[in-house]
Amino acid sequence: MPSFQAGYAPNLGVFLKSLKTQQLESSIENLISLLKRRQIKNSRPCAIATAHLLLRVVAKFRWTDIGKLLERIREVGQRLIEAQPREMVVGNIIRRVLGMIRDEAKEDRNEDVSDSASNSQIGSPQRQHSDLGVAKAAAPPPTFSPLRFASTDASELAETSEDDVFGGRPQTGHRPPLLTSHTSFAVLNGVPVQQSMFNLLSATPSPLATPPGTSSPHGKSAVNAASLAHKIATTSKDLKAEVISGIEEIIDELDQVDDQIAAYAQEHIHSNEVILTHSSSLSVQKFLLKAADKRKFTVIVAESYPNDHEAVHAAVTGKSKANIEGADEMSTEMFVKPLSSAGITVILITDASIFAIMSRVNKVILATHAVIANGGLIASAGARIIAKAAKVHRTPVIVVSGVYKLSPEYPFEFESLIEYGDPGAIVGYQDGALVDNLEVDNPVYDYVPPDLVDLYITNLGAHAPSYLYRIVADHYKIEDINFHNPELQF
Amino acid sequence: MPSSNPPTAAGPPKPDPPAAQSDAPKLSGAELKKQKQAEKAARRAQAIQGKQAAAPAIAAPAQSTEAPKGPKVQQQKRRGSTLAARDIPTRSQKAVAAPAPVEPKKEDKTVEFFRHLYKPRMTSIAGASKDVHPAVLALGLQMSNYTICGSCARLVATLQAFKRVIESYTTPPGNSLTRHLTSHVLSPQIEYLASCRPLSISMGNAIRWLKLEISKVDINTPDTTAKADLCEAIDVFIRERVTFADQVIASSAAERIKDGDVILTYAKSSIVQKSLVKAHEDGKKFRVIVVDSRPLHEGKHLAAALADLGIEVKYCLINGLSHNIQDATKVLLGAHAMMSNGRLFSRIGTALVAMEANEADKPVLVLCETIKFTERVALDSIVHNEIAPADELIIPGGALENWADMKKLQLCNPMYDVTPAEYIQMIVTESGNVPPTSVPVLHRLGNESQ
Repeated sequence: MPSFQAGYAPNLGVFLKSLKTQQLESSIENLISLLKRRQIKNSRPCAIATAHLLLRVVAKFRWTDIGKLLERIREVGQRLIEAQPREMVVGNIIRRVLGMIRDEAKEDRNEDVSDSASNSQIGSPQRQHSDLGVAKAAAPPPTFSPLRFASTDASELAETSEDDVFGGRPQTGHRPPLLTSHTSFAVLNGVPVQQSMFNLLSATPSPLATPPGTSSPHGKSAVNAASLAHKIATTSKDLKAEVISGIEEIIDELDQVDDQIAAYAQEHIHSNEVILTHSSSLSVQKFLLKAADKRKFTVIVAESYPNDHEAVHAAVTGKSKANIEGADEMSTEMFVKPLSSAGITVILITDASIFAIMSRVNKVILATHAVIANGGLIASAGARIIAKAAKVHRTPVIVVSGVYKLSPEYPFEFESLIEYGDPGAIVGYQDGALVDNLEVDNPVYDYVPPDLVDLYITNLGAHAPSYLYRIVADHYKIEDINFHNPELQF
Repeated sequence: MPSSNPPTAAGPPKPDPPAAQSDAPKLSGAELKKQKQAEKAARRAQAIQGKQAAAPAIAAPAQSTEAPKGPKVQQQKRRGSTLAARDIPTRSQKAVAAPAPVEPKKEDKTVEFFRHLYKPRMTSIAGASKDVHPAVLALGLQMSNYTICGSCARLVATLQAFKRVIESYTTPPGNSLTRHLTSHVLSPQIEYLASCRPLSISMGNAIRWLKLEISKVDINTPDTTAKADLCEAIDVFIRERVTFADQVIASSAAERIKDGDVILTYAKSSIVQKSLVKAHEDGKKFRVIVVDSRPLHEGKHLAAALADLGIEVKYCLINGLSHNIQDATKVLLGAHAMMSNGRLFSRIGTALVAMEANEADKPVLVLCETIKFTERVALDSIVHNEIAPADELIIPGGALENWADMKKLQLCNPMYDVTPAEYIQMIVTESGNVPPTSVPVLHRLGNESQ
């Protein structure tokens, strides 16, 4: 609640400042407790905090190979997600970073492949898909996920992994290319898939028993191993720089996303339209402000009482100094002028008036908390009835959301995504005995099913809800989707 | 406006208005009336944005009379007090010539869609006509601050007050009760009540009935008998159309509540409350979910009353509606009025509840006395509605406190919305349970029987 934000209560700004001075581990703990205490909340601050923290993790981490780094990030990510599972952006950002690291590694590996292809004849490229750690006898959680293998491999075996212990399991299913340099090395050895089965027994003990690159079951690999170790040493520096710049790109994207979305505004809003929106979202506000540059229209704002009304009131009256967490530190751009000062007529209504006024509304623009791959969204409570009322009146519903809010998670039970807030906001202690006698319900979020949404506008453009799964696939590696939840991994 | 001025003040007549400058309370009745008319004209003028320039001209006749009490004119709501303060001096300076161009453009804070519905609401008895009966004066204020709220409660209270008016009425010599009572006595009362809060549809129906009753009184009936008859008729009317009707509806609705039901209701309707209490008294075991909304939070009273009886009550605001509708087995709604096209006119937010219930396949029952039926039709909630003062939306200490200073910011606080007929499965009335399509039929039957 905004009441804390005035004093010294930690928020995003404080956290980002502390990042520079604090120990990494205490920064992680710090963010975890901030998330738990909801002192950092809502998608954007969570995303920014996560990205900055990961940047530190990568910078601080003494890593020798990609697998270890992935493992480390996954471990941090898991802790953050456990801290606040309903801030889905945290997971999204971690997945983005994981995917980005994998991509970087892949590029790296490709270079390797082209290098070493000259001195060893290799099996067909398809084989790359089917190798993968078999060394797994040693890996603690016995799962059957290829992803899991790749990662545990890398971490467990660290230096020793130059051995061709990665025979490969016979696998028939298609799987995305492996991404670590070790695995590419395993392929270099050209162990046929079928044969690799026989290596199982001989190979397993070796990674733990033998020092790096010394005693390899396959004599000829020793040379390669040594050269690769060297290669890794030299390339990991570059890789690190690349990963860091990759994370910085994500942070930049978080900064710019609203402006990028706003660039589409004028395509969607026309003169004299009546736009209905709800709650206070910076994305929506910027979107409307951008449209206001060229056109005059009317905006109706539903106040989304009781969880967000203060922010809404502040936003419409332009007193939103502290309404966006961390605004003090983050920035200039967080000060958004109220819509009304841009020449737009702003009408504030209660949530109950939505149906009454919907017959005059031309478009509904919703802000989101998170978007799910099926095209549905999680938005502040009340969004569902708005979307439904719009549907009933055949009014188009547009959802404005950065791609970073797009989550690959797809829960079976949407209720699990809904957070319940402080019932005191509805029946306070001033109501006396009522507090004891009533069951009070204050959901913070609503799930809006995809059939109530007509259009998504993201920083990548406008999409139909049915297309979102493609964007999800573009942004996250399938291996990372359930990284925090290995049982669900497939 | 001279708030010190008792509305019935009748001092020695003073012919010229400027003389009142020293001594406002000494205005004559006629003067007061004139003054009030002038003020009304001024107020009306201010409400019309487009005619800003014309406003002083319209208000001009008012200026001479209004001049003396300039600083007190802040009565007009819905405008920033600074704005009001700014233009009052110009008026009191008797600037008849050309105030229009100088005057800073006053911003119209009314919402365009609802502009036709804005009516200044009276919040004090100052300025009320001297003809208004004290009982009605009090009632008006109670209505205006929602002490008496709800279609039926207002109807009953109005009729009771009118009974007092009729009791204290004496036909002036040379007039007959039939001709004089309605036009000269009842009309100012009605006008005053309407200025406190627009009349509800049931009140309109009852007043129409009362006028008809009065017109039916035989000219030769002596005053006392006529008055007694009228009072008797009012009592019977209240008993038949409200008290008994409520009992019938309550027991009929209570019958529909089964053990294990979860009844969802919205805001507070007295008849829904009666039905739930009746069902509880009948020993039914059920839960109630009360959905509520800003700014009136009427549902809280209902929830408190039911919880006191030991009924298991869940309370949520409209933001929790879609989460709770799945748990409900029936939705009971109260009504402000039933439109002839089968639509339900009720507290703002009812339509959302009915919509969600319909979406979730939950039966929606409307409990409604036939006195609330009207031959009017409505397609949306905008053509006919009541707009409450926007200041009711302000949360003390919140950011909205000086919203009026914000250019282009408007607050909209409609009171009712219209629920499409297709969301309503059944209307429980005292004449039986009917589908929404039968509203006009029942309405005609009700009127013919009169």
